[in-house]
Amino acid sequence: MSFILILMCLQLFTSRERSSVWGQSDIILPPHYAAFVNGIAVHSMDFDDTWHPATHPSGAVLPALLALAETLPSQPSGLDLLLAFNVGIEVQGRLMRFSKEAYNIPERFHPPSVVGVMGSAAASAKLLGLSPEQCIHALAIAASSAGAPLANAATQTKPLHIGNAARGGLEAARLAQIGLKGNPAILDLDRGLGVYYKDYSPSAMADSAVRAYKWILEDQDVAFKRIPAHLGMHWVVDAALAAREKLQNAVGKFDLSQIRHVTLRVPPSKYVNCPLPATEHQARHSFQFNACTALLDNKVTVASFGDAQIGRSALKELLGKVSLETPEDNLPSFDKMYCEVEIATHQGPSYTARCDTFYGHWRKPLTLKHLVDKFRVNASSVLCTVGVEGVIDVIGNIERVADCSILGSYLRMTSNQEHLDRMRIL
Amino acid sequence: RAIHKSAVEAPEDTVTASFGKFISEIKPQHLSPVVLHRSKRMVLDSIGVGLIGSTTDVFELALQHCQNMYAPGDSSSVYGHRGIRLSPILAAFVNGVATHSMDFDDTWHPATHPSGAVLPAVLALSDMMPANNKPSGLDFLLAFNVGIEIQGRLLRFSNEAHNIPKRFHPPSVVGTMGSAAACARLLSLDPIQSSHALAIAASLAGAPMANAATQSKPLHIGNASRLGLEAALLASRGLEASPLVLDAVAGVAGFSAFYEDYVPQPLQSPGNDSHMFLLEEQDIGFKRFPAHLGMHWVADAAASVHKILVGVGPGTVSPAQVEDILLRVPKSKYINRPFPESEHEARHSFQFNACTVLLDGEVTVQSFTPAAMNRPDLHALLSRVRLEHPNDNPANFNRMYGEVQLTLVGGDTVKGRCNTFYGHWRNPLSNDSLRKKFRSNAEVVLPSEKVERLIEVVEDLDQLRDCRNLLSQLQ
Repeated sequence: MSFILILMCLQLFTSRERSSVWGQSDIILPPHYAAFVNGIAVHSMDFDDTWHPATHPSGAVLPALLALAETLPSQPSGLDLLLAFNVGIEVQGRLMRFSKEAYNIPERFHPPSVVGVMGSAAASAKLLGLSPEQCIHALAIAASSAGAPLANAATQTKPLHIGNAARGGLEAARLAQIGLKGNPAILDLDRGLGVYYKDYSPSAMADSAVRAYKWILEDQDVAFKRIPAHLGMHWVVDAALAAREKLQNAVGKFDLSQIRHVTLRVPPSKYVNCPLPATEHQARHSFQFNACTALLDNKVTVASFGDAQIGRSALKELLGKVSLETPEDNLPSFDKMYCEVEIATHQGPSYTARCDTFYGHWRKPLTLKHLVDKFRVNASSVLCTVGVEGVIDVIGNIERVADCSILGSYLRMTSNQEHLDRMRIL
Repeated sequence: RAIHKSAVEAPEDTVTASFGKFISEIKPQHLSPVVLHRSKRMVLDSIGVGLIGSTTDVFELALQHCQNMYAPGDSSSVYGHRGIRLSPILAAFVNGVATHSMDFDDTWHPATHPSGAVLPAVLALSDMMPANNKPSGLDFLLAFNVGIEIQGRLLRFSNEAHNIPKRFHPPSVVGTMGSAAACARLLSLDPIQSSHALAIAASLAGAPMANAATQSKPLHIGNASRLGLEAALLASRGLEASPLVLDAVAGVAGFSAFYEDYVPQPLQSPGNDSHMFLLEEQDIGFKRFPAHLGMHWVADAAASVHKILVGVGPGTVSPAQVEDILLRVPKSKYINRPFPESEHEARHSFQFNACTVLLDGEVTVQSFTPAAMNRPDLHALLSRVRLEHPNDNPANFNRMYGEVQLTLVGGDTVKGRCNTFYGHWRNPLSNDSLRKKFRSNAEVVLPSEKVERLIEVVEDLDQLRDCRNLLSQLQ
């Protein structure tokens, strides 16, 4: 009967917890949904970071953490936030090392939907200060929300994989916090997390009570994208740009009509082999499209994926001249692949360029300046300058930030006139 | 957008497109009398187990979670809790959790728990629809049957699905898809939108078996229900996903990701006259007590042993009499638990259920209370149990059997065997027995007038002009 009384009390509660939607000054949502929409935003243009073994680690974790942080009775410090974030990244990295399958470009499950939700659960559990046992259950509960098939990559639904990972992990941690239990051996069992892999060989994490913990991120950096497209596209774009330059240097000017045929030598991966994309999502997952856009425009940018751009007849004509080859030595792994572009001209000579490591890859990381430049261009699309620079400043100094709610405030400083007026009044 | 043209048109001959078409084009007149009858029984049983399930700890936890975490919507009822209303998605979630909370809900072959994933979503969605546009009882029943049918069709795409599962918990795989299909039907989505609803749902499907027999298992059904509803709502807003999600595409897994062997077949387009629903060929099993289906075989086998030993009157088997208890059962790790420690484990333990019946003559809702679970006599019997897995006893709900062989001190043996328990699809519960189960469940939370009214309303569901009569009785 006490159960009934509890329920009657609960009726009186309405959830007043609300978290920011990045880039919206007036909309706030329950944290679960804020994590969802912000996660979708992060992955919506395939512009977010990529790691090796392959996943998009940050988008699954950060939206959950920021949404959660805004609801906590006492605001975490910047360092608390950063620690929780790193826990979420580290857990993803550790889980991916449990199988060989994870090291190659995926074919079955979209990795963020497998390890991303686990990372989000771990990070949220960390920020909530859960006990070790509760953390275990957060992971177990999260595992039941994991796993989306790859077929939805290259569709409008793909960004939801990251959104769902963020919210599923947050939810799992909250459920564990109020006492829900799952299988405490979830990571050990083949019928636990092992269901998502053909080979699964888990190993224990090192004891973090020792003074120096070796984070995976120290040995293995992430790649940041210069182009809002699947990571594989970055190789083919850099190769296409280089081949174009060779042609231009040899002939004096670059003219589309010179091109007889274009051969792309790429690793075998069905879901990024799309000869004639019809949507922006397909275009972001098409070796052919990205190579041709690079040849046509001498660059690939955010604007390259608009409907008008995708529909250009000059582009379609060029796409008709493209063929793909998958050489045996070109392995479907972000650590090992290369792309080669060969332009055959009507006049006779061919111009070939190869990219082994694109600029932005972990072997050739973006400079801080270029990373901040990318942020400014992106953020300025919705935030005012104060907000843009505020975020840069807070994150740059996050270890010294006492109260991380300031970040949420900056993320709501949109560039619409009304908001600026309000700020001037203050 | 007044006119929506999908940028990604599925070619008409794909498996995925055939499913989208079926969902969108099936009509109430396609429901045969057998299907109407069987599905109404399912609706009744499912509501009953949901009502009693709303008294469990795991339900309370899920409800607390939703009320603390989410915006308070107020459209959809919560089983057995007068005055509490939640947004449709959360209502689907908690009612789904309630339905599976005691493992008391229906089971099908190939194995899944079909109704709990679908009914809560259909109820929540019906609650959400405006007062002047509520579905009729027949619309409701059609949507429900679409949700069941889709699950059955998908389960037939792999051999793996025919056996007791090892990797993914089936309700989390096909249940989500069934819920999406049912909601797409109720929302009258067109064929392409219906396909996308399935594809979006696929990205929300799949939970590992490891969480079965834990407190999280009921959330698999709750999540299947709510996520399928979400998928349909997203599709109705125009979200697009893979047009080939159900088809087998080498190198890019869709729904096939959840199975080792996967051979999809297109669904026949419902013609003008009829569609053969799977429910017509393959009925559901209803449980007589709240435990994994496999337990019902050993329980019935143990019951015949109990009856022999103690005669017809109430009596019990004393551990002192018993030397050894041998259970011959299929091999399945997650229902082999010699000494279960929680109610969830006990519901998934051949040993526990057999010994409970030897002591009490039957398994009931009360058998899983802490008091019942901690009885010294029960523990004494449990310590005398051993399991054998004969080669002719496959882990398959259509072909397995349960055998209990008691060796008494002194050497005599008493044996009982059950090939088909009462409630299995081969030996279905009578309407009386089903109603008795419903009354016993529903009376825990509803007054008996409402209980009787519910029985009547569901019995006449296909004649009901407005399903509000059903919706208003649930709390």
